[in-house]
Amino acid sequence: MSAQCQVFATNFNPNGVRMGNKVLRQRLRGPALAAYYPRRVATIKDVREEFGPGLDTWEDAEEDRFEYIDELKERGKGAPKKKSAPPTTKPGAGGKRR
Amino acid sequence: MSMFRAKKLDLGCFIKPRTIRDHTKRLVFEKFEPERQALRYIIRNTTLPPRVRAEAQLQLTQMHSYTRGTQIRNRCIMGGQGRGVLRDFKMTRFQFRMEAMAGNIPGMKRASW
Repeated sequence: MSAQCQVFATNFNPNGVRMGNKVLRQRLRGPALAAYYPRRVATIKDVREEFGPGLDTWEDAEEDRFEYIDELKERGKGAPKKKSAPPTTKPGAGGKRR
Repeated sequence: MSMFRAKKLDLGCFIKPRTIRDHTKRLVFEKFEPERQALRYIIRNTTLPPRVRAEAQLQLTQMHSYTRGTQIRNRCIMGGQGRGVLRDFKMTRFQFRMEAMAGNIPGMKRASW
């Protein structure tokens, strides 16, 4: 029996004493569990941020968005222009009281 | 817990707070697994002095809950759901149905006989 244990590199334990070896025999589950969710991959936006805005890139979703905005503007339904001057308060309106 | 969380978001799937939390737990578990297993070995080993084993028990119970494997739960990568997730596809049964019917899962087709 002891020879068998030597050959197969197992613990010689004829009395069946609890040595906790079953814990050592277990495989580590961590790497498999940690790889469950797909990791973040580099996007076109990331590339632009990294290498500057001078880069020529093509992003389908973004192009679609620009096209849609142009369409809206043609129909006169686009977002209003940003104001250059600070808003002037009307004398009657009051504004936020503090 | 925020001290374990990655500073920059490193997930590429559907994200909601619970998904981030679960991902963090997974990473923490991976990091502390050898330590936990070592303590577990000491506790299970009856040939060691009782005092050492009791200390190991205490140490194991004092570890953070995020280092515990039972805290991890598989969540849907398409919708972040925690229930009804098919392990093989990492998706909830409904998301799986939608994807399968759209033909996004290779080799998957509706049973018919």
